[in-house]
Amino acid sequence: MYANFLHNYPTLTPTLSSIHAFTSKNHFTPNLRTEPLFLHLQPKKSRIIINCAANSDGVKGAVNWAEILEKWSPKNFLGADKLFRAISGATSSPIAQYIPAPFTFVHSVDPRIKLAWLFTLVILPAKSNLVMRLSLVAYLAILSILVQPAQVWKDQLGRVTLLSGILFIMLGLSTDSAPSLISSRAPPHSMMGLPSFPASLEGYKYVVLKLGPLQLTRKGLSTATTSACLTFTIFQSASVFLSTTTPEQIAFALRWFISPLANLGVPVAEVILTLLLSLRFINLVFDEVRNVALGIVSRRINWQQMTMLETIDVFFTYIRRIFRNIFVHAEQISQAMIVRGFRGDSTTHKIFLSADSSSGVADYISISCLFGLIALVTLPKYLIQ
Amino acid sequence: MMQSVCVRASALQLPPINSHSSRNAAMADSFAIDAQNLSYSVVSRQGKLLPILKDCSLQVPSGQFWMLLGPNGCGKSTLLKILAGLLSPDDGFLYVERPRSFVYQNPDHQVVMPTVEADVAFGLGKLNLTPNEIKTRVAKALDAVGMYEYLKKPVHTLSGGQKQRVATAGALAEACKVLLLDELTTFLDETDQIGVIKAMRNSMDTSQGITALWVTHRLEELEFADGAVYMEDGRIVRQGDATSIRKFIEDKLASYVNQINL
Repeated sequence: MYANFLHNYPTLTPTLSSIHAFTSKNHFTPNLRTEPLFLHLQPKKSRIIINCAANSDGVKGAVNWAEILEKWSPKNFLGADKLFRAISGATSSPIAQYIPAPFTFVHSVDPRIKLAWLFTLVILPAKSNLVMRLSLVAYLAILSILVQPAQVWKDQLGRVTLLSGILFIMLGLSTDSAPSLISSRAPPHSMMGLPSFPASLEGYKYVVLKLGPLQLTRKGLSTATTSACLTFTIFQSASVFLSTTTPEQIAFALRWFISPLANLGVPVAEVILTLLLSLRFINLVFDEVRNVALGIVSRRINWQQMTMLETIDVFFTYIRRIFRNIFVHAEQISQAMIVRGFRGDSTTHKIFLSADSSSGVADYISISCLFGLIALVTLPKYLIQ
Repeated sequence: MMQSVCVRASALQLPPINSHSSRNAAMADSFAIDAQNLSYSVVSRQGKLLPILKDCSLQVPSGQFWMLLGPNGCGKSTLLKILAGLLSPDDGFLYVERPRSFVYQNPDHQVVMPTVEADVAFGLGKLNLTPNEIKTRVAKALDAVGMYEYLKKPVHTLSGGQKQRVATAGALAEACKVLLLDELTTFLDETDQIGVIKAMRNSMDTSQGITALWVTHRLEELEFADGAVYMEDGRIVRQGDATSIRKFIEDKLASYVNQINL
């Protein structure tokens, strides 16, 4: 890693110094004007000749683009300093990761059952009624509080709740909120001599809530709860699943589910190997992003003096460096795989995925709860019909 | 060429100085690594031929723990990569007992799977073993490097030294005859350095017939070795038992220091 920082140095500094050098060269013109022969001796400095010619002609307002650019471009563009500092101080695994301790009930459940739960929880909110949706959300919230350590669930639940809350408000008030401006073509009830619709005996109202010009209708409420609950369950169930399942177990469960597809010609072994390699690689990528940012921060660049173009230049150097390092990493990992006996055929190179669930009891309880939940959601519809 | 081999072979049969070499003295007649007159060069950007290794010959007896020393850029890592089969030499004769395994300087380049257990088991994939056999081998290898309790840990939560030990365990699990280890202790702190090298020595003592070649800069690590090879500027300057090489390097250092002081 540290070697990469060192390599960074030559690529960074020359670009900066060359820009400074260019701006300062323009002040050299008088010397050159008095000695025209000098120009022929050093044809490499042709850029300066042009400048001097313009100045010697006495053309007023000879445009000094570099100065103008420097004058008008904002200094400390985008707060680059703060941005790089924030990146370099960020966590290396922003995506939910496996938490081995404390070992809970959910940890011991077979990963295949957990994956089935995950799919069910993603599909159910769209299919069920309001009460069911809200109870699913409550169930997931309680489960994550029970399973995850305090700082993890506080952080995670807070963010997901915020996102779903914003979605709920936006969708609830925007769906069906503004009444149509075009008036109905049918005459009003009073003109037809008919009594208006009687109020519902059960207290049914289409408009649930009125907020000034906005209104929350039944339709809006339904759309808002569906999307907010769906967002919540997708994020939260994935978080719980990832924090209680090792990458190997995920791969094992997925392999079990998609192995029938091998008969249809799906390269199951390759898919699983790719999944595992990418799960390992994610953290390397985040590490790289952080480390290169740290390399830039540690160079003590004076961002206040830099123009916008120079700052953008540093950003491009940063991105280029990240990509180069990642590709080097990928190459080295592929070489390591070859050294360790991988010969490019993932069907013959077996990958050991240990997924022994210790207690069968947890599996049975979990799978029966899953069927119970599915029955609870789907059966009422058939019973009513 | 035959003569040179004879000379070196006889040089190796020095009276055993430390306990490790006496243990393996009987096996010293067969070599696990035998390289003769290896040369390797690369073409630079300007199109010039840059020789990296010049006429290198070395032999490492079976079942011993040897070290390869030398200043930065003298070609140690290149030599090791040639021995591992990652590069092919331009010229010379090379024999390395199979199966052989190579451990990188940077463990992040070696560890390919997201969890410790799966990574150690990765190299076993080609061997067609039953899951139980794999499990025992993984457990044994991790135990040898003192990392058994980390079996289920995600790799990225480990420290550099721990990752290095996982990488070594991966090589050990394959039950290789020859281990080639490239400056494992570079990124580690003092305690981790000693930890990794002790783990290596222990696992070599417990399992028979493993030969290891360990690239290092640190003279104090020679204490754990049976023999050593000293390289300089692409050539092998000296090879012999650990104590004599250590003395040779220390003398060299002392003469250099004297030269500066003058």
